[in-house]
Amino acid sequence: MNCHEFWDRFPRRGHDISREQQAHLAECATCAAQWAPHRALAAGLDSLREEWRGVEAPPRVEAGLLAAFRAQSGYQARRSPGPSKWKPALAWAMAAAATIVFALVLIDGHPPAPARPGTVATPRFTVQPPVEVAAGQEADPDDESAVLGEGFVRLPNAPGIGPNDDYNVVRMELPGSAMIDAGISLSDDRAAGTVLADVALGADGMPRAVRLVTDSGTN
Amino acid sequence: MNLFIPRPFLELPGPPFRTIIKGSMAHYSSQTDDELLLRLRNGDEQAFASLYQRRQASLYRFALHMSGSPSVAEDITQEVFLALLRAECGYDRERGTLSGYLFGIARKLVLRNLERGRADVPLESDTDEMAPRELAVIDDPLAGLARHEAIEALRRAVQALPRRYREVVVLCDLEELDYADAAVALGCPIGTVRSRMHRARALLLEKLNQDRKPRLAVDTWKPVRYAI
Repeated sequence: MNCHEFWDRFPRRGHDISREQQAHLAECATCAAQWAPHRALAAGLDSLREEWRGVEAPPRVEAGLLAAFRAQSGYQARRSPGPSKWKPALAWAMAAAATIVFALVLIDGHPPAPARPGTVATPRFTVQPPVEVAAGQEADPDDESAVLGEGFVRLPNAPGIGPNDDYNVVRMELPGSAMIDAGISLSDDRAAGTVLADVALGADGMPRAVRLVTDSGTN
Repeated sequence: MNLFIPRPFLELPGPPFRTIIKGSMAHYSSQTDDELLLRLRNGDEQAFASLYQRRQASLYRFALHMSGSPSVAEDITQEVFLALLRAECGYDRERGTLSGYLFGIARKLVLRNLERGRADVPLESDTDEMAPRELAVIDDPLAGLARHEAIEALRRAVQALPRRYREVVVLCDLEELDYADAAVALGCPIGTVRSRMHRARALLLEKLNQDRKPRLAVDTWKPVRYAI
């Protein structure tokens, strides 16, 4: 093996050199000198790889994807056969989940049992800075505006969302009657149809609060 | 073609995800990526979970190395698997492995992100989430510090590489893809991967020697394995 052949068969990693290449290094001081830093670099890259071995996506990514997978499986089953036009988005899955649970909460009057600690599916949350309630100001226990923003009303019997809690807000269409059950006033014609609403989901995926979305923005 | 079989939609949101997955995970872990893909397209949730568990970490790290942002890496990991759920995802095993295909999607998403200029945040200023876990017990704190600094200097040097060289180093050296899979991911011939790798290492050495300090010199690294 000559020098050109040695470098032409550049080893994938510093310690992956063949016997033939090793023999060339033994007889060619120039190549050996040039190869030494490459070998050290390969060792450094090995160390970097080992250092990052435990780095992985946060659990909420898997939870959201599994929710999307389930939603898509159900949605595909309800579609007539044909080419799929559905774009599976996590927000869609979350919205579907929230719609169902939202309805269940309002029908039953109490939220479903919370998931067991340590195994909860934590959805990706939208970070919004917490807003401090001014000192001396009486806070409405059902008003979630302090944490979530203007207009949010806590759902009946749902636990509130604290400033340090993870949450996710999804926008969806809901029956007007559901909004009335949640304590939001609607005109008769809107109550009979569907309205656009923002639903705040807790870290367990359960709806906690809702606000009406009007044409000009939020309620 | 619609490959999904009916499943009750009202499974959402259901009990915690981990608890409803039944059956032997060991059974799934012995299956190839292509077998898991076929199963998940038939609505097998455990196959999807298994494939995700098998591939997510390396995809996430690739996106993190390339973008420098944990939140971007998280979004990209999510998007890669959502793309896989689409019936028209475009994977063809005749053209390469599923792993290479997934890295290819991740790479396109990274490029899109870089073009939008959202990934200009240096790693240091991001959250602690990206900090790798300490895996080793360090007997000599100074030696450990020197080693840590040397690795950090190398990480910064990788981060500073031009994109086309950075991606090949991350794929082949850090995520251990073979050149064939890397070629699929990068959409180029294997020879190009090889030449970019050669150039990337030369640039890394150049960069490290520019930043050279007594304790951070590249030759402080000792090869962990020697050629036989």
